[in-house]
This record gives sequence, structure tokens and C-alpha cells, in this order.
Amino acid sequence: MKIALISDVHSNLEALEAVLRDIEKEGVEKIHFLGDAVGYGINPNKCIKLLSKHCDIKLLGNHDYAALGLISLEGFNKVAKASVEWTQTKLKKKSIEKLADFELNSTFLDYALVHASPGTPDEWNYILGIDQATEEFACFSQSICFVGHSHIPTVYTEETDGTVSSSLSSSMELDQNLRYIINIGSVGQPRDNDPRACYLTIDTENSKIDYRRVEYDINKTQAKMRKEMFPDFLVERLAVGR
Amino acid sequence: MPEIIVKYEDKVIERVVSEKKRMSIGRTSDNDIILDNRGVSRKHAQIEFNGEAAVIIDNESLNGTFVNNRKINEEILNDRDVITIGKYNLEYNTEGQRETSQAGLDGTMILNTKKQKELIAGDKLEKEIVQRMGGSVLLGEENSDFSEYQLDRDVTTIGKAKFVHIHASGFFLSGIQAKIVKEGNQFHIVNLGRKGKTKVNGEVVENLNLKNGDIIQVGKSVFRYLEGNR
Repeated sequence: MKIALISDVHSNLEALEAVLRDIEKEGVEKIHFLGDAVGYGINPNKCIKLLSKHCDIKLLGNHDYAALGLISLEGFNKVAKASVEWTQTKLKKKSIEKLADFELNSTFLDYALVHASPGTPDEWNYILGIDQATEEFACFSQSICFVGHSHIPTVYTEETDGTVSSSLSSSMELDQNLRYIINIGSVGQPRDNDPRACYLTIDTENSKIDYRRVEYDINKTQAKMRKEMFPDFLVERLAVGR
Repeated sequence: MPEIIVKYEDKVIERVVSEKKRMSIGRTSDNDIILDNRGVSRKHAQIEFNGEAAVIIDNESLNGTFVNNRKINEEILNDRDVITIGKYNLEYNTEGQRETSQAGLDGTMILNTKKQKELIAGDKLEKEIVQRMGGSVLLGEENSDFSEYQLDRDVTTIGKAKFVHIHASGFFLSGIQAKIVKEGNQFHIVNLGRKGKTKVNGEVVENLNLKNGDIIQVGKSVFRYLEGNR
């Protein structure tokens, strides 16, 4: 069975629609969403609606949590904070109701799914290096933990002796004797210098993963954001993928 | 058929019409009229019907049963009599389901000192809990785990999901059905999930400031809000 994992849509409708079209072509059976439906972008309600409709497992990210008013905005930078507050004014009751049914973490087959980190899912810690990844490997029992949050595609591998390394290639066949933490990248706001929407597929039979990069109409998204007077920083980063 | 109108802090919670000869009143769920409040004994009182007549009998309850502000052991009920048990007022209405006017309900009762004292005694346990917990508390009651949850966070979540702070149960309940938000010393409850699943004192709420003693119902689970630092 082939499944798709998507994350960090951040209210970017054009990117999400492009990814869903690509997923359809890929012959995927299930789509799991790893959180941050909203924040930063211009179309929170439409994105929540699409994600609710198409995804099997739906997780909450820190921006979703914040949009629901469940965490203080202290840890957010100025732009992120302003965007959460903007989102809160735009979210329809129906969208809030849908988000309220998203989960904090989940499992599927031999996979753990979480937005930020398996150890403390509601503390939104970034896994950004070998040391953090090593600690997090102790926090889940499954073979693979899929995460989002940092917007940077990365594969952390735990060898049988416990040593951890990181690597990245667009396609990998995973060793079924090893364990992995895999960051699946971001649909709506990639930060790895590639502006194309990013998601991941995995074939559950042979554990082959493929990072998919999908072009979308960035100009259209940016034009909508400019019209709504979004900060330049948020608008421009979409075109450079940072 | 006589009707009993159950009110909590002047709000109608329930209208009970029964063909039974005997109606039990108490805190536990095996009673005909369930008054879910710790000031109410498990088997607090009963009303016995004999033809046209009805008699209320107090079952040696801890905090007593009152008819028209008078503590009773056994009392014949007349139309429009108000029975007080804990924080509840039960209006006895012989004409059954008659639409009672607001004035006729005589909502605000004048409490005599003795009665006030006795009602306050019912609050003693609540005060102890608040004092021990050091702040506002949500008490788990029916269909909950009966825990005392200190409301010490800025936001406390209630729902069906595993990750919420306070677990509630019920059909079609959302993962995060509601949140209780702290603002200074005040708490308010906000419904996030499916419509109509969050109720305070029997009424569906979207966003409401909580008052001491409020009965919060999320799905099937019932909690009581006890305000700290009063």
C-alpha cells in the first residue's frame, strides 16, 4: 500500500491543491496530515476543509493549537504571532469544529506520527540535529516516526548499535532492521531553498520513501497575500523556499 | 399529572412528570430526580403521591430539605410549593406542565439566617476542596473520573481526545470539545467542537463566564466549577 504524508500546509491553498492533485496521480491509498493546517497563509478555512475531506489521520500543529487559543503566543516570533491572530479572526466556526477533532499524535501500521517531536508532542520542540534525534529515538516504539514542524526534509537513521546519522535523498529504500525519524518537509512554506511544495510517499510493502516536489502557482498565492497586506517577509519567502 | 420543575440558581434544568407513586430525589443516578451536587445526599428525599395528595419526606439528609424556606421532615405539598435541596429549587405544580410565569416562579427566595447557615454548611466541602487545591477547581461528577482538576493553566482543554487535560465522554463529542480560559481571576468556557455539546447549568453555551457552582456538561460528563479566592 502506498500512503502519502503531508505537513505544514500553513493556509497555502494553491500548494495544497497542487499536492492533492499529485497525490491522486501517484495512486496513493491513504493520506496522513502531520499538522499546521493554518498560520502564515491566506486561506485557513479552505485548507482545513480540504484536509478534513482528504486525509485519514489529521494532526494538530503548534499553529493550529495557537489558532484554537490553546497555547500562549509567547514562544512565537512577531510575524508568526500576528499571523495567528489574523487567522483567529478569519476562522469560521465550522473550521474550528473540524480542527477540534484533529489529534496530537497517532500511529499507523509500524509508524508513529507527530507534528514536532514524539517525546513531548505538545511542547513543539524542533528536531534539528543528531543529538536531538538521538534523544527522540528513545521516545517511540515504532520503526519509523514521521514528523513535520521544521519544514526541512531530513532522514535520521538509528543504526542497530544506537548511533544516529542524518541524510537526505529524494528517494530511499529504508532498511527494515533500522529505525528512522523522517521529516517530511512542508507543503505550504518550504524552507530548504526549494520553493516547490514538498510531501512524502511511502510504499508500506518495501519501505521505499519518495520525497515529491510539486510546483504550484506561487504568484497567485503571493498576490492574494499582498492584497491582504501580509508582511513582505511572509510573501517573499514562498518564492525562495526559505 | 403533577409536575416538578427543577431549577438551579433560578434556571430551569428539568421538568419532571411521573406516574409513579413514589419519586426519589438524590445525588446518585438511581434516583428519579437526580440533583448532581455534593450538598445533596445520595438518597436525599422522596415525594409520595396518594390520589390528589403529595407528601415530601426527608430521608434524614445531611443538609436538610426545605419547603418554602422551612426545614421539614415530612410535609404535605401544595400547588406552587418550592422545595429546596442544596442549591436546587424544585417547584411542585399540580396542574402539570402549566406554563409558569416568571413572577409566579418566585425565583429569588428570601433566605432566613438559619436556612442560609444550613445551605452554607453544604458548601463547606466545596470550600475545603478549593482551599486544599489552592485555586479554582473543576470537580468531576457524573460520567467523569471524579477527579478534582485544579484550573492552574491559562487554557484547560476538555474533550474526548487522549491529549486533553480533562477527559469527557459522549457520542459525537469532539477531540477538544471545549476549553476553559483563565483571564486574571476569572475563567470562561468556550465551546470549540460540535455544536450543542457544551452546556452550563443545562443550557448550551458557546462562550460564557463561569460562576461559582456552575454545572458544566461536556457530552455526557458533568463537572462542577468551584471558584477559588472568593
